[in-house]
Amino acid sequence: MQVVLGSDKDGFELKEFVKNNLTKQGYDVIDLTPTPAKDFIESSLAVTHKVLESGIKKAIMFDAYGVGSTMASDKVKGMVTANVEEERTGHMTALHNGAKAIAIGSGIVGPQLALSIINRYLKTDYAAGRHQVRLNMLEEMI
Amino acid sequence: MATDKYDYDEDRAQPEYVDPKIDKHTIVALANDHIVTDLKMLISDHLKSEGYRVLDVGTYDHTRTHYPIYGKRAADAVNDGRADCAIVLCGTGIGIGTAADKNDGIRAAIVGNIAQAVYAKEQLNANVLAFAGIVLGRDFVFDIVDYYLNAKYKPDDNNKDLIDRINKIATPNPDQTDNPNFFDSENKKWAQGIYHD
Repeated sequence: MQVVLGSDKDGFELKEFVKNNLTKQGYDVIDLTPTPAKDFIESSLAVTHKVLESGIKKAIMFDAYGVGSTMASDKVKGMVTANVEEERTGHMTALHNGAKAIAIGSGIVGPQLALSIINRYLKTDYAAGRHQVRLNMLEEMI
Repeated sequence: MATDKYDYDEDRAQPEYVDPKIDKHTIVALANDHIVTDLKMLISDHLKSEGYRVLDVGTYDHTRTHYPIYGKRAADAVNDGRADCAIVLCGTGIGIGTAADKNDGIRAAIVGNIAQAVYAKEQLNANVLAFAGIVLGRDFVFDIVDYYLNAKYKPDDNNKDLIDRINKIATPNPDQTDNPNFFDSENKKWAQGIYHD
């Protein structure tokens, strides 16, 4: 299973930790920032465009708070990024929002919690059904 | 004859609930989906007790509906100047926060704690705050709201550049802004039973 990663300077160390762990778990990790991006706008938009163009279903963005990557990437038509700090939302946003990426703030979430959130997100498939009307509405927006 | 279209002239804050001695002359738009209406009402009472005026753009009960409708209404209220900022919530905050963010002029912050809420206001001048209404509890949510509303944007060259670039990511869609019929085709498909589990 392919997972896209991207990070600015603040999230870089956590991104490396997650990358190593996911690689060991057997995920096909596509790291768009082997060196840190200039800022979270650059890293989150790189992840966004990769996900939208390739159709890869899961991605993780890293910055200091998760807020900026989410705010910037959700501005792109068709993108749904979730800022996540705990496992429940990691699970539910995959299930109900079909989140194409989650953002994790390295200043907010420690490495073990990050792995736990990410595993819940990656192991949950989108439920579609009634939730699809909401995603279609989001798709119509800018 | 009543219509099912919302009319902005009717969408006014409720100053009658604000004690003039504590009135902050700040209008906060509230928006939510049907899962978290009860918590939205508690936030509304909480804000009024602190002297805020509340513009509740729905939903107002527990009947199943769709979060993008209300995220867009909150965004329109802020963009039109009918509210100074908006607080939006759904189950996780992700759906309605994303919907609010997908509006020109809006910077929606999806947060799970005070630290992120304060950062969003101080550094990104977020005009919409989104959070989880069923993952987080009442008292924590009240704190997140209070810290967000009390925080002030701290402009500097770095964050002005970030904000400017975020504002330019999306291509504005004039047909979306203030258009109460924007979701009609999807709502119609929903009513026809096209979407089901």
